[in-house]
Amino acid sequence: MKLTRRQFTSSSLALGAAATGILPAAPVWAQGKTPKIAFFVKNVTNPFWKACRIGAEKAAKELKIDLEVVAPTKPDNIEEQTRLVEDWIVKKPDAFVFVPVDYKALVPSIQKANQAGIPVINYNNVMTDIQKVTFIGSDDEMFEYEMCKYLFKSMGGKGKIVHIDGVPAAITAQNRKKGFERAVKETPGIEVLASQPGQYRRLPAQQVFENLMQRFPEIDAVVSANDDMAVGVVEALNAAGRGGKTKVVGIDGIPDAIQAIAEGKMFATVDFSGHDQSYLAVQAAVRHLKGEKVPPQILLPVFIIDKGNVGTVARTPEERGVPNWDKVTSAKS
Amino acid sequence: MSVQAGTSAAKAPAGFFGLAPDRLFIVLSRLVALSALAITLSLLSPHFLTWNNTVNILRHAAPLFIMSAGLTIVVLTAGIDLSVGAVLGLSACLAASLITQGYPGVGIAAALGAGLACGLTNGALVAYARIPSFIATYGMLWIANGLAYVFMQGEVIYGLPASFRSIGVGYIGPIPIPVVLMGVAIVILQIVMHRTPFGRGVYAIGGNPIAARLSGMPVQRRLVVVYGLSGLMASFASLVVIARTNAADVSLGEEQLLPAIAAVCLGGTSLFGGVGGIAGTAVGAIILAMVLNGMNLLGIKTFWQAGVLGLIILLSVLADQLVGSRINRSSR
Repeated sequence: MKLTRRQFTSSSLALGAAATGILPAAPVWAQGKTPKIAFFVKNVTNPFWKACRIGAEKAAKELKIDLEVVAPTKPDNIEEQTRLVEDWIVKKPDAFVFVPVDYKALVPSIQKANQAGIPVINYNNVMTDIQKVTFIGSDDEMFEYEMCKYLFKSMGGKGKIVHIDGVPAAITAQNRKKGFERAVKETPGIEVLASQPGQYRRLPAQQVFENLMQRFPEIDAVVSANDDMAVGVVEALNAAGRGGKTKVVGIDGIPDAIQAIAEGKMFATVDFSGHDQSYLAVQAAVRHLKGEKVPPQILLPVFIIDKGNVGTVARTPEERGVPNWDKVTSAKS
Repeated sequence: MSVQAGTSAAKAPAGFFGLAPDRLFIVLSRLVALSALAITLSLLSPHFLTWNNTVNILRHAAPLFIMSAGLTIVVLTAGIDLSVGAVLGLSACLAASLITQGYPGVGIAAALGAGLACGLTNGALVAYARIPSFIATYGMLWIANGLAYVFMQGEVIYGLPASFRSIGVGYIGPIPIPVVLMGVAIVILQIVMHRTPFGRGVYAIGGNPIAARLSGMPVQRRLVVVYGLSGLMASFASLVVIARTNAADVSLGEEQLLPAIAAVCLGGTSLFGGVGGIAGTAVGAIILAMVLNGMNLLGIKTFWQAGVLGLIILLSVLADQLVGSRINRSSR
């Protein structure tokens, strides 16, 4: 669906009225109408986005708003998400809670939403060159950096390690790798044997690591850019009878990684909570619509899950408690 | 080694079916490309040419081959099956769900049944409704994906029982079970394709469908079976994949379709039908696994890998085009 010229002109006028920075909140709350929020996810296939959906739905239920989940049927498809955004600009919800499938490609579409006067709350992947009420997410670079520092400390600051990269084109993979490189640079005893791509997916990572085991008979630790790949590496190690000797770490905190940590097969992961991000993002949208002030950026704290605290961690997003808005926003950003 | 078994089977019907020497040359020329790649990699890396690494490569090639083998038969009839990846994904989800709930037999049967049903539907659409295979199977791709999305609701199923996992991670003697399954599939399919009226019919349909129909062959029924076989093989591959990864999610099949088509083409099966075969596809799957293995062993930088993969695929096809045409010419 495309924007007609008339709609486009009227939305340009709306932009003129709200030209500076953050747009004024629409007074839906005053009218006693149930506000409607379009909540975007990247796909319906990855459990991460399911956790996001559950977090958002919890917030919607709590705040008594109307939440519509918008997902492309082709996972992470730029063209389809572009169309969805255009459709939703026409439907004109009270706010967008948005994650781009590509942080650059979706900029023009979100600019159109800006022009239409729809407040945009950006979560998970940060977008620049758009007007947003706030960004809520996690700092990929910091997450992997902190994970690595924790791992290296447990290794006494020395050892031979392998890094499994994510999708080469993904900004998250590039930032996580930067965090890895910074941590390695600061720890002279760490030797990086190899850094190879696992496409953020279990099977490719498993096969890549099986190949690497042929070349390196001794690997002290594996840093993997996400948990799906980390559990693939754990499978490869176990199948080769090398389980338990190599410390495997990942990022995300997916249920099977948490189980692998509980069973002692995996060393640690960082909780990259989509559930918390989306819960807070919907909170931010509603607070903005009520006319409250929302900080321009909210970054979730690094929370490492390992053998010591794995028992206290909820395995599924349904079981998880919701974060406290005041606590998160009053911490540093 | 199993590849050679395949070629000798291909040789057998030479006497009464004039095409066989051509097929033999196709397989031979692919083997030349494979050997060239293997020799290059063993010169570049001391870790390449070891027993463990060879087994490792074959194990990576096995599920890809099993899925591509069914696709090969479709391609031999001058069709295409774009749904193999999605069918693999759907079957994987069904199997994993039932197996983790404690019904391994039912899970395996459901996966194979779903694959077969998707394939037979494709076949009926192509043979009786006369929908071009590209569109019919593209539709099936989305139906299978859609069913898997609804079934899984964005979940990942993990933690399959060890007894089931043996088909992915177990060994018979020194040989991993996936490789054994690959060998068995090669032998059975070679026999089916070259010693049965069905197999010869497949080549005839791909070579000249009108002549095949005029000669009284039940072309439509054969096509239904061909697509059914493709779906069945994709679901069979799904069992090996989930047994290896110990998990299933809906996007499992997405990354499988293009490598499967590449394995078929790398193996020398013509997309125009009638030329090529199963043994070639085995070589194609091994080439793909070998290139990835080589890049990992050599530590090629992440950003370069996609480009290097493409380049080597083109080079290996080019190399056996040159060698293949020369062998063909000198034999005539």
